[in-house]
Amino acid sequence: MAKAGKGKMLSLAALAAILLVLPQVVKSSFALDIFIRILLFSFIGVAWNLIGGYAKQLSLGHAAFFGLGAYTSTIMQVDFGISPWIGMVAGGVVAMLASLPIGWLCFRLRGPYFTIATIATAQALMLIFLKFRDLAWGAEGTTIPNLGSSPLMMQFEGKAAYYYVVLGLLALGLAITYRIEQSWMGYYLVAIGENEDAAEAIGVNASRIKRDIFMISSFLTALAGTFYVQYIYFIDPATAFNFNISIEAALVSIVGGIGTLWGPVIGTVLLETTSALLQSWLGSTTGGLQLTVYALILMAVILWRPTGLIGVFNEARQRYLKRQPAHA
Amino acid sequence: MLETVAQAVINGLLIGGIYALVSIGVTLIFGVVKIVNFAQGEFVMIGMYISFFLATQFGIDPVLSLLVSMPALFVVGVLVQHFLIRRVLGPNDMPQIFLTFALSLLLLNLALMLFTANYRTVHTSYSDEAIHLGGLYIPVAKLIAFVVAMGLSGALWVFLHATDLGKAMRAAAQNRDVATLMGINPNRVFCVAFGAALALAGAAGSLLMPFYSAYPFVGQVFVLMAFVAVVLGTLGNVLGALVASLMMGVAESLGIQFVGADSGLIVVFAMFLLTLAFKPSGLGGGRVR
Repeated sequence: MAKAGKGKMLSLAALAAILLVLPQVVKSSFALDIFIRILLFSFIGVAWNLIGGYAKQLSLGHAAFFGLGAYTSTIMQVDFGISPWIGMVAGGVVAMLASLPIGWLCFRLRGPYFTIATIATAQALMLIFLKFRDLAWGAEGTTIPNLGSSPLMMQFEGKAAYYYVVLGLLALGLAITYRIEQSWMGYYLVAIGENEDAAEAIGVNASRIKRDIFMISSFLTALAGTFYVQYIYFIDPATAFNFNISIEAALVSIVGGIGTLWGPVIGTVLLETTSALLQSWLGSTTGGLQLTVYALILMAVILWRPTGLIGVFNEARQRYLKRQPAHA
Repeated sequence: MLETVAQAVINGLLIGGIYALVSIGVTLIFGVVKIVNFAQGEFVMIGMYISFFLATQFGIDPVLSLLVSMPALFVVGVLVQHFLIRRVLGPNDMPQIFLTFALSLLLLNLALMLFTANYRTVHTSYSDEAIHLGGLYIPVAKLIAFVVAMGLSGALWVFLHATDLGKAMRAAAQNRDVATLMGINPNRVFCVAFGAALALAGAAGSLLMPFYSAYPFVGQVFVLMAFVAVVLGTLGNVLGALVASLMMGVAESLGIQFVGADSGLIVVFAMFLLTLAFKPSGLGGGRVR
């Protein structure tokens, strides 16, 4: 057992070392952009996985929190000159507070109708930002003033720095998930995910646990929103509250392995790599091709591997370990 | 003023008939098969494209082409149920939600690739016709759509209540295990329910074509309405879905008339959130799943 733990620590350290060195070796900005996308969507997936994977509350409305994070930091920066680093945390808090009424409404429904309610709330938020121009630039959106290299304002020259920022976010998300997984809360979440009524019957306060984990998940998703608009220097309701964000958050987790620490990461690597390969083979993507392929992958995973590809990954590792002599 | 309100109510009722076809399909599948079909709107879209191509290639009237779109989508529904949905039925709802969701994503993006995002319209001889009743104005195409939609809804109700297969379907919806013990083959019943629901979606598509544009995302407008109507009308309740759909059509139309042209959706969302907040079991007062 101790040995296995040591092996795990070693592979984790090796992975961290590779990820830290990567931007020093790979200088192509196309490749770095793909790495940043992989890390970002892994992080969003990890955030979604807390409520969607462990507690099995299958939200398709996480764009709401992504957008709130993005808008909070941008409004603070453009209107008040406050650094997006502060704005990022503020956005997280706004999203966390917003998750209270959203959760209060949506958790009244279970299963597929919870999912529909989350879609509706995210769409409603997008409509609000589209409609009320005084709130935040309406449908046109705004560009974020480019200050050149200004680390204090979360603006960097070159993509390497952005890479490290989002790598840090992913590490934070994974650390939080790991801590929750190991704690009593993790067990409660799994119990709720397995059977909510049974969990309540043995004394788990399901509404409170769901509310708390929804807050954490929303907070983390909002951080991704701030990062994303800082990275692309532009915000409008269609970008910040894009339904595709909600879709991808859920998709990467399901494809990788719902309710597992590394599932969202594995899922993102697979989906984003596929999408990047398609793009480089076929030139600019034909409209709809990427999501067509995602949909096919999702259907295949659900029909043949509903626990996600992490199982395939683990089995392969176990076969490999078994083949090694016992003393190795 | 009174006339404006009356006109808005008429417009709402007419489009509400189309919403009803979509909602009844959603609620039928939910009631019998116990899953939510996220792809229902995409089948409306397919129905629209079938009618569009029949009209442009062969000059067939869109309303008549319902005789093609309905059986075609019935067969698609049976196949979807038999080869996809059947494999994920069970207590775990994650695969069910995301299988139909993936189907929706797939059909939508395939349509985007095959037909591009362009809006397609069919112009019929009655597309611009209207009946004038006093100061009121009733577009003929919408009136035909409404009448046929109500006829089909009625036919479904008769089917569910007066035929053996329909009764078997309602029995399976109430208690699958007991129904199976009574000799009802659940998979057959599920296939018919799914097929019938998709046929209604296809009919909605064909009926829309004389006055509405087809484009890949068109289904999302209707499915959102349907989901709200189905919650409002109590899950799994056909009559409830019908009444709620007509109400939503009217609410949307009044919203457009009195709040602003693009407020229709906001009114619908507001209704949805209010329903959730105050009457999550629906206006029928049934049980929430």
